[in-house]
Amino acid sequence: MTGSLHIPHGCYELGVTSNFSFLRGASHPEELVVEAATLGLSGLAITDRNSLAGVVRGHMAAKEAGLGYAAGCRLVFMDGMPDILVWPQDRKAYGNLCELLTLGKRRAPKGECHLALQDLLEKGDGLLMAILPDHHLDRALVSCIKSLRAAFPHHLHVALSRHYGPNDQRRMARIADLASTHDVPLTALGDILYHCPERRFLQDIVTCIREHETLRTIGKRLEPNAERHLRAPDDMVRLFKGYEGALAQAASLFNRISFSLDELRYQYPDDPAFEELGAKPVPSQQALEQLTEIGLKKRYPQGAPQKVLDAIAHETRLIKKLEYAPYFLTVYDIVRFARSQDILCQGRGSAANSAVCYCLGITEVDPGRIDLLFERFISEERNEPPDIDVDFEHERREEVIQYIYDKYGRDKAGLAATVITYRARSAIREVGKVFGLSDDAISAIAGTKWGSWSREIDAQDARRAGFDPKDKHLKQMLDLAQQIIGFPRHLSQHVGGFVITRDRLSSLIPIENAAMENRTVVEWDKDDLESLGMLKIDVLALGMLTCIRKAFELLETCYGRKETLSSLGDKDTSTYDMICRADTIGVFQIESRAQMSMLPRLKPRTYYDLVIEVAIVRPGPIQGDMVHPYLRRRQGKEKVSYPKKELEAVLHKTLGVPLFQEQAMHIAIVAANFEPGEADKLRRAMATFRRVGTIGSFEKKMVEGMVANGYEREFAEHCFRQIEGFGDYGFPESHAASFALLVYVSCWLKCHYPDVFCAAILNSQPMGFYAPAQLIRDAREHGVDMRAVDINCSDWNSTLEMGARPQPVSPQHRDMAGTMKNAHAVRLGLRLVKGFSEEDANRLMEHRGRGYDSVRDLWMRSGLTRHTIEKLAEADCFRSIGLDRRDALWAAKALDPLSSAERLPLFAAADAHDLQKEPDIHLPPMPLGEHVINDYQSLSFSLKAHPMAFLRSQLATEGYIQNISLPTLAVNRRVMVSGLVLVRQRPGSAKGVVFETIEDETGVANIIVWPKTFEKYRTIVLGSRCVSVYGKLQSEDGVIHIVADRLRDLTPLMMQISDMADLMGGLANADEVRRTTGDMRQKIKPASCLVQSVKDIPKARHDHEGMTRVSAAEKAMPKGRNFH
Amino acid sequence: MQYRISQQRILSVAFTHLPTDRIARIKWGKSWILDGRPETPPIAVTGLAKNAIRIVALEDHASRQGIQQGQSLSDARALVPGLEYWEHDEDADKALLHAIAAWCERYTPLVALSGEDGLFMDITGCTHLFGGEACLVAGLAARLNAQGLSIRLSIADTPGAAWAMARYGTQRVIDEGAGRGAISGLAVAALRLDPATVTSLNRVGLKTIGCLANLPRAPLAARFGFPVLRRLDQALGREDEVISPLMPVAELTSEKRFADPIVYEDDIKRTLGILADNLTPLLERRGLGARECRVKLFRVDGDIATLSVQTANPLRDAGQIARLFEERLAALHDGFDAGFGFDVIRLEVCRTDPFEPGQGSLTEDRQSGYGYDALIDRLGARLGTDRIRHFILADTHIPERSFGTAPVVQDKARDRTLCASSPGQDVITRPLILLQSPELVETISQVPEDPPIRFRWRKVFYDVARSEGPERIACEWWQDGRGSHTRDYFRVEDGQGYRFWMFRNGLYGRETTQPKWYMHGLFA
Repeated sequence: MTGSLHIPHGCYELGVTSNFSFLRGASHPEELVVEAATLGLSGLAITDRNSLAGVVRGHMAAKEAGLGYAAGCRLVFMDGMPDILVWPQDRKAYGNLCELLTLGKRRAPKGECHLALQDLLEKGDGLLMAILPDHHLDRALVSCIKSLRAAFPHHLHVALSRHYGPNDQRRMARIADLASTHDVPLTALGDILYHCPERRFLQDIVTCIREHETLRTIGKRLEPNAERHLRAPDDMVRLFKGYEGALAQAASLFNRISFSLDELRYQYPDDPAFEELGAKPVPSQQALEQLTEIGLKKRYPQGAPQKVLDAIAHETRLIKKLEYAPYFLTVYDIVRFARSQDILCQGRGSAANSAVCYCLGITEVDPGRIDLLFERFISEERNEPPDIDVDFEHERREEVIQYIYDKYGRDKAGLAATVITYRARSAIREVGKVFGLSDDAISAIAGTKWGSWSREIDAQDARRAGFDPKDKHLKQMLDLAQQIIGFPRHLSQHVGGFVITRDRLSSLIPIENAAMENRTVVEWDKDDLESLGMLKIDVLALGMLTCIRKAFELLETCYGRKETLSSLGDKDTSTYDMICRADTIGVFQIESRAQMSMLPRLKPRTYYDLVIEVAIVRPGPIQGDMVHPYLRRRQGKEKVSYPKKELEAVLHKTLGVPLFQEQAMHIAIVAANFEPGEADKLRRAMATFRRVGTIGSFEKKMVEGMVANGYEREFAEHCFRQIEGFGDYGFPESHAASFALLVYVSCWLKCHYPDVFCAAILNSQPMGFYAPAQLIRDAREHGVDMRAVDINCSDWNSTLEMGARPQPVSPQHRDMAGTMKNAHAVRLGLRLVKGFSEEDANRLMEHRGRGYDSVRDLWMRSGLTRHTIEKLAEADCFRSIGLDRRDALWAAKALDPLSSAERLPLFAAADAHDLQKEPDIHLPPMPLGEHVINDYQSLSFSLKAHPMAFLRSQLATEGYIQNISLPTLAVNRRVMVSGLVLVRQRPGSAKGVVFETIEDETGVANIIVWPKTFEKYRTIVLGSRCVSVYGKLQSEDGVIHIVADRLRDLTPLMMQISDMADLMGGLANADEVRRTTGDMRQKIKPASCLVQSVKDIPKARHDHEGMTRVSAAEKAMPKGRNFH
Repeated sequence: MQYRISQQRILSVAFTHLPTDRIARIKWGKSWILDGRPETPPIAVTGLAKNAIRIVALEDHASRQGIQQGQSLSDARALVPGLEYWEHDEDADKALLHAIAAWCERYTPLVALSGEDGLFMDITGCTHLFGGEACLVAGLAARLNAQGLSIRLSIADTPGAAWAMARYGTQRVIDEGAGRGAISGLAVAALRLDPATVTSLNRVGLKTIGCLANLPRAPLAARFGFPVLRRLDQALGREDEVISPLMPVAELTSEKRFADPIVYEDDIKRTLGILADNLTPLLERRGLGARECRVKLFRVDGDIATLSVQTANPLRDAGQIARLFEERLAALHDGFDAGFGFDVIRLEVCRTDPFEPGQGSLTEDRQSGYGYDALIDRLGARLGTDRIRHFILADTHIPERSFGTAPVVQDKARDRTLCASSPGQDVITRPLILLQSPELVETISQVPEDPPIRFRWRKVFYDVARSEGPERIACEWWQDGRGSHTRDYFRVEDGQGYRFWMFRNGLYGRETTQPKWYMHGLFA
């Protein structure tokens, strides 16, 4: 064996495929970089397949590891040419490469890249390249060498690699021969697929996934051995024995690459011209200062307080120093556009709550109200651009997006990508398939995961699914599934992260087609862009803004009151009274059950209380066990104290308990001696770099650091767990502050104008936590006159009608009698009718004239199809012409299936005459109960009665009480309640406890089902739509729960109301069992979205009927929704 | 073949849980209903629908625990973790239904399928043989129950009424002429309407057949279409409905009846030849060749002997077909019992494929029929087609696993020879002879990956003159376990020109410290 080798030029690895070549590489870029540094390589180049998606991560990791690094790409062609590795020599060449990839991607379907050698010949200037001969050393290779040699004589190389194949020596000799024949230098590279040999298993797995094969069927498409890993220098020397020149050539090639991704550091757009400033380009900083000045006058007509002036002076100085003015101006410009279009918007996030942003109108949160330290978000040291997210009305965000495209051009603005990675479930699913497990076995194992995003797989899951976790095969599968979690699967479009550039975007980042037509997406995600310091702005959609805008409009037209987000102040006592009573159904953020049960305990009385309320019910504070200490202190049960004096400044606003992400970070800095930049790294490590496994060292550093500084270990550990919680769903104070404003405004609207609020929120659906049924019910309890959908009275949207009949206000809301100023009735809109489109509604409204007088009249004049009119009949919309649901349906059924407009007029007239002569038919009248059920089916609510009302007499004899009487009963008493199931939740932080909310005709009851009871009654908890509960009544600070001992399925009883009791509607938006879409970050959702079990009413008598219901039911269910 | 009915009595049988009954019969035996169902978790049958594995059938025991048809399997398992589920096997269910239908022919020859889970039996005029309608129904129900089948059944004047009553009513016999009254209280779904129509009828309050029957016809037709009226009329006997008796039909048949039963094998063979001759022109006209043929020998005492043969290629030649049956008969020999003789012999072609006629040769004797394919067919007919196997390539890197055998007939499509080589490999990298199992060799060599210098194999020393390698082949970790060793293969040549294929087992350093050497093959 050769002794230690002397390598004068250093060893470099130039061809590395990371897992951003989706399903080809088996290591993260970071892993590759770290391994290369450990092995003692001098430099590494990541070359993914027609992609630069992974290069930024590699770049950042290499910076940290102090490793030489080059960005590169492996070009794979469609025309049978061998693969070619390219490395841009300089910034210009890099631009060429991006353009080349963009070209290939833009002409291919999403996720693909179609390139031909000709493209490279045209755009390959400045690229160092190496041809990677494939198995066939044939004519394609020779012609490829010839044409590239002619075009780029000094840039071309031939790559020499060795993978322990059957003919290595001969093959290498032939390649060397070929290279020297054509006078092209030979360069050694490893063509690496993973960082260490142990990754071969995973490499095999991803190959199988890619090829849609199992391990048993994939055969020779797998690599025969585990040799495509990174090698130490002496290993490389041995590998390329006899070709030392090629190794030296690799080094010199690497050293010719002078380009670094750092050069891309964003240059902001050109100096903007603003009309307010005379429509001439003004230097950015000057423009910003002038605009701030103008805004300041508008905000504070009587002169600004000194505190604000100081803040502005300070911020402006900092902005100037860091040259961030263009960024603020860009956001300003977008916000200004939105405002000019009457699109409601509000900024949030790090820099958004600064005084400058307030003056610019980016946010409405008065900096005088709340003091947030600007430096906390713009740190000089980090020199990273600030981060402002702007929320827009969800229905109109597209207009803003189009504006950005128009203003900056599609070639300079693009949407950031989101890297979709493997989660526990998808990992089990795909790896299970590769192992040849049957679909149901896979479902069974995957189904034991409660969250689709959970990151860990443990053997318990398998045991729960009835498998033997000691089974070797299964163990391997679970192990590999665990490893693949976090691997990127594909790129998707970010919800609204825009990147805006001065140069052509496609010369900075390759752009590919998005799934949506006419959309493109860049290859890098938010973090990548942030790492490189490129300008990005999040343009997000928020349903509540839509609702508030609509409410303001109604307020103006119906009550003549003009309001804005900032005009309502923040000190309205009756609004806070309402919040304290947890009367918050429908309002922003604080409407969930967890939030509602927090309200009476927290008793918010000021704006800042709302900020805390918004932030406290989150995984961070919950995992850090910070909620109860805070509540105790707030309620005066515990003294406010600080772990150490030095933290007082950080924690005094929150009574000594860290609640916000900023505070947690600050503690790391103050108490554990983190550098500010380090603390930020910690935050990002939690959010994005979790996979690399640096968390452990952070944990140690933080906890030990704090202990060394004299903190209690327990407190230190809580703080760290809290940060971990933030990693999943970071919720900083700056976001909470912006959200709190919307909370306040929506509460104010609901408090004073419940009619306006109800109409606005119904018109903004889908959004929020509750379904129309609960919103309508809540409005009625507040004395709002609700009127049914009708062909002659309703518009598409719900509207306000004059002349409301006075309605009784429920006893629990009596206090609000004087505050509520509602004088209008809400006429429900046609949008609530399932399956009825806006287009049809417009037709109906357009031809309505002085009203329709019959079903036939509606059909003839509006030209709607019979099918559409049936939908209206099913929703019982013909009452104004004296037809009930059944009569209307009977009449509608007789219409020609086509719309009248599609028929020949002559025959139409003849037919009409004929058919009107038909004999009178007496249909059996529809009982009220059936009407109610049909209402639920077609509208998902009923104004006629609550379904439970029909069971009341029977329930009363069995001893059930009405939910409304719960507050009057003694605590710890056993009670029996009943109701329709609105929401089922199983929060991850609650250790398997299921929370269920049920509703009867008088009100809701909150049920807690402990795991033991759940196991016993899981069929009922998960499966029934109408239940009764026997249990102990508990009350904490006015929040009443019933801890279930026994449950009973009342659905069969429910069915007695109607022969066809598909009670589909009315389930709240938040029901986790019904919800089909994932990504409810702060919630854990039950295993398999037991959608079906909820949707299907238990076994009808005959299967034929059962099947009908299933399909009808599926159509009836609204889609699930996400929350922020 | 269709059968027109005038004055009829129809018995409708509905198998309410056919798929699960079939499974129960497998699990617990046919008498499981009589014995009482064991206390085990409920059974459901699953199938793929709407992108999910869903429950397509279930037993009562399962529905009592909240499982429903159409539910996704994962949901069902969340409700009943111990749920036992079987994949839906439509073919098996269909086969069972056919078997039951065949068995039902003891009552009447006119047995027809009704959907996938029921039978119609035209029992017009034959009920007296079984003691009247009531006895027939009771007897049939008891017998089917005893065989582990849950059923509902009913007799009426029309198939529609019988179907409705069997599935939606409780009456077992509807007297002649009483159909209308009996079914008027049943739900409209009993009219065999599609679910959408049923829903819209219910919507307007028309929930029973009686409601519907009383209404004027024109408005009904205008709203719900004519099928509703047609089904109504069929049920009420206003319109006749024909049922098609079930009769398994072969694609092509040729049969011969004998006044005097034949007994001798030679006669049978001769008859087969004639029958095969009859079939040839039929096959020619259709451009088909037979892939599977069956001979049915009907014994005078009612027993039926069936022989069938399969062929590798579509076959049309009468002589060859007959010859295959001769091989079959020869193979049977003693197991063949002619009894009192056969009075009908029928030759059926059960499966066909397009026949591609090859260019005939002038010089060769076309009648010979002793080509490769013919040989395989004949061997297959005699020994069983599964036993005629050839070598195939297996798709793996591991040398000793890289070949296998497969039945010749089965995979015509796949490449049948081993000689396929991967492209671009101009050097022979695999030996001519692969040893049954690698043999341990004593070797002098350098670690980590140098070739052997000298080795002793089967007690003979060899000095290595030339060598090439290593070619590294790692284990198939998913079968062998991750710890299994990687092999470094070398092609080595000794001074006399003998060439060997040997490997070092285990990577030095990474897998082992003392790798062993094995001989695995010989080139020449």
